[in-house]
Amino acid sequence: MMALYRLLVFPGFGFLFVCAMLFDWIDRRVIARTQERVGPPWYQPLADFIKLLAKEDVRTEGVHEVAAAGLPIVSLASVLTAALYVPVGGVAAASYEGDLIVVLFLLSVPALAYFLAGWISPGVYSVIGGHRSLLQYFSYEVPFMMALASPAVLAGSWRIMSIVAYQGQATWLALIQPLGFLLAIVGLIGKLKRDPLDIPKAKSEVVGGPLTEYSGRKMAIWHLAMDMQTVVGIFLLVNLFLGESRFLEALPAFPVFGAKALAILLLLSMASALYARLRIDQLANLGWRVLAPLALLQVMATLWVGG
Amino acid sequence: MSKLVVPIGPQHPLLKEPLSFRLTVEGERVTESAMRLGYVHRGIERLCQTRTYVQNIHLLERVCGICSHVHTTTYCRAVEALAGLELPPRALHLRALLCELERIHSHMLWLGVLARNVGFDTIFMYAWRDREIVLDIMEDLSGGRVSHAVNVIGGVRIDLDDAHRDTILQQLDLLEDQVEWLLGVVEHERTLQARTRGIGVLTLADVRRYCVVGPVARASGLDIDLRRDDRQAPYDQMHYEVPVHDAGDVWARTLVRVKEAVESVHLCRQILDTLPAGAVSVRAPRRIPAGEAVTRSEAPRGEVIYYVRSNGSDHPARVKIRTPTLTSLITLPDQLRDVAMADVSVVLSGVDLCIACADR
Amino acid sequence: MKEAFRSIACLVPQVFRALFRGPQTVAFPFGRANIPEGYRGRLRIHADQCRGCGLCVRDCPASALELQREGRGRFRLLYYPHRCAYCGQCELSCTSEALYHDNSFVGGVASLDELVTVMVEREG
Repeated sequence: MMALYRLLVFPGFGFLFVCAMLFDWIDRRVIARTQERVGPPWYQPLADFIKLLAKEDVRTEGVHEVAAAGLPIVSLASVLTAALYVPVGGVAAASYEGDLIVVLFLLSVPALAYFLAGWISPGVYSVIGGHRSLLQYFSYEVPFMMALASPAVLAGSWRIMSIVAYQGQATWLALIQPLGFLLAIVGLIGKLKRDPLDIPKAKSEVVGGPLTEYSGRKMAIWHLAMDMQTVVGIFLLVNLFLGESRFLEALPAFPVFGAKALAILLLLSMASALYARLRIDQLANLGWRVLAPLALLQVMATLWVGG
Repeated sequence: MSKLVVPIGPQHPLLKEPLSFRLTVEGERVTESAMRLGYVHRGIERLCQTRTYVQNIHLLERVCGICSHVHTTTYCRAVEALAGLELPPRALHLRALLCELERIHSHMLWLGVLARNVGFDTIFMYAWRDREIVLDIMEDLSGGRVSHAVNVIGGVRIDLDDAHRDTILQQLDLLEDQVEWLLGVVEHERTLQARTRGIGVLTLADVRRYCVVGPVARASGLDIDLRRDDRQAPYDQMHYEVPVHDAGDVWARTLVRVKEAVESVHLCRQILDTLPAGAVSVRAPRRIPAGEAVTRSEAPRGEVIYYVRSNGSDHPARVKIRTPTLTSLITLPDQLRDVAMADVSVVLSGVDLCIACADR
Repeated sequence: MKEAFRSIACLVPQVFRALFRGPQTVAFPFGRANIPEGYRGRLRIHADQCRGCGLCVRDCPASALELQREGRGRFRLLYYPHRCAYCGQCELSCTSEALYHDNSFVGGVASLDELVTVMVEREG
C-alpha cells in the first residue's frame, strides 16, 4: 500500500505532475519578468496540457504510427522511472547502491527518443532537428556524466541517499566542487534543451525540430515528459550538490528542499534570459574543448583528494 | 551525407514577410539556394496611374510599413520639383524630424528581429520596448503610430508648439540612454558576437559590383550617405557622423545600424533646437505641369529612388520606385553559399529585408 | 579580464532592474490604454456644417466616402469604415471643416451592413 502511494502520489506521478506544471509556470513567469512582460497566470501550463489533449492528432504520411505514438510514452516512462530513485526531501520510492547510474542512464532515454522522433519523420525540419539533437547529446553528455560522477567518487558511494547524507557530515558539494556544479548546470541546460542550448528546436531555424509534425495527445505527452525531465533533473542536482547541511538541520526537510530546487530553477531561467542561442558547431567545440577537459580535471582532482 | 531541400518560406517563423527560398542542405551546410520574390506584389506603380497626385500620397505610404514616411517624402519632393514649388524651411525640418524618428524606429525593430532570430529574446523585448518610445513620439506628432500621413504636396500638415517640443526632447533623452545601452550590448556581448561575427561577409568589391546601398554597404566600408552626399536640406546645416565599418559581416551591420540610431537621436535634437518659424506648407496646384523628375532619399535601408512623369493632368503618367531592399536581395545567393544552416537566419536578418518594399 | 567579464555579464544590470521595476506592458483591455488626443481613429462629422460639395469623396484614396445626390439640396453622405485608411485626407480637403477624426476605435461588428454609417442626410 505504501509502495503504491509512493509510486502514484508522492514522490511519484501526482507530485511530479504538480511540480512539472509549477516549475514550468515559474520558469515562464521569471523569464517574462526579466523581459518586462507580465507572463502567464498560474494555470497556464495546465491549460496548455488540457488544450493539447483536446486537439486533433495529425497523422503524418510516411511515419510508422506505432513508433510515433510509442516514443513520447517511452520518454515519459523513463523519466518517471528515473524519478523513483531521486529523493525528495529525503523520501525516495526506492533506493539501493548504484541507483545514481540507473538514474543517469534512464535520463538519457528521452534524448534518444527525441532524436528518433526526428529520424522517423519525413519532414525536412524534423530530420535536421534530429541530427542536431544527437550532436548536442554527444556534446553535453560526457561532461554532464563526469560532473555527476564526482560527488559519488567523493562520497564513496553510488547511492544518491548516501551522497546526500555525506553532505550532511561535510558540507554542500556545490561549495567543495564548484567546477562540477557549474558543469552540471551547463549539462542540464543542454539536456533539457533550454535556451541558450535549444538548438534542435530553434524556432527561427528548424521551426519545431523533431516535434514539428506532432500535435494533439502525443504532443501533450512530449511536453509532459520534457517538463518532468526538468523537475527530475533539478531534483537530482539538488540532491547531489545541495544536499543535507548541518546548519539547516533544524528546519523541516521538505520546504528546504523546495527552496533549493527553486534556486536552481531561477539560475536556469536567468541563463535563458541572458544569452543568445549557440550554433551547433559552437556547442560541439565548447563541449569537447572546454567542458570535457574541465570535467576530467574535476574528476581527477576528486580522485586525488578523496584518495 | 544526404542532400535535403529545406524550404524557407513563404511562411516561416523567421520571415516577417513572405519570401521563398529553396536551400539545398548537406548535413548542416547550405550548398545552393534559389530565391523567389513577388508574394507581396500589389501593383502599386500601376495603381498610381489611376489615382490623383493627392491620393497617391496615401497609397505610396503603404508601400512599406516601416519606411512609410520616406516614401511619401521622396514622392512629394518629386511632385514639388515638377510643380516648381519652394518649400518653407519649417516644413523641411519637420519632414526631416520624422525621417530620423522613422530611422530609429526601423533600426530598433530590426535589432529586435535579429535578436529573436538568434534566440536572444531578451534583447528583442528590450529593443521593442524602446521602440515604443519612438512610436509614442510619432503618435503625438502625427496621429498614427506607423502610418503618419504627415506629408502633403507643398509641405507637411502637422505643427509643433514649444510645450510639445519640450516633451519630445525629454523623451529623446530617455531614448538616447536606452539606445546607447543597446549599442554597448552589441559591442561587448559575447554570445551575440559569436553568432554574428564572420557571417555573411560582403567585401567592398562585392558591394560595388552589386550596387548595394544603405547600412549593408556602409558595413563593408563604402562611405555613402545621401543626406550628406546630396547636401539635402536641412541636413546640410546639421552636424552628424555617418558610421562606417569595414568587417562586412552581420555584426558590422548591427553596429552600423545601432550607431546610426544614436546619430539619429542627436539629429532629432538638433532639428528640434534649430526649428525655424514660419509656415508649414505652400499651396500646390491640382494639375502638375508636364515633365519628369527623379528624386532620391536615404531610407532606413538605403537609397530609395522615385521617378515621376506627369502629362499635365491631375493623374501621374508614370511613377517608378527603386527600393534599397532590392540591392540587398541580390547579394543573398552569394551570402548563403557554404553557410551553416543555423546561420541562414542570421544572414537573412542581417540584410534587413523589407519584401513589401521590394515587391511593391 | 574586465572585458571578458563584461562580455558575459552585459545584460545582468538591466535584467535585475527589469525584475524589480515590473512589467512595462499595458494590460489593454483590462487596463487603460493612453491614446493621445490627436490619434486618427474613427471619422466623425459636424453634420450641419457639411455642404455636400464632394471634395472629400474626390480626394479619398480608399473610396471610403460616397455622396448620393438626389436632386436639389438633397444628398446623403455615406462612410465605409472598413475601406477607410484613416489617413485624414478628407479632413484636409474639406473646406467647411466638417470632418474630423476622434481617437476612438472602430469595434468589431457581426455584419458589414452595420458598419456603413450615414454621416449626413439632407432633405433639401
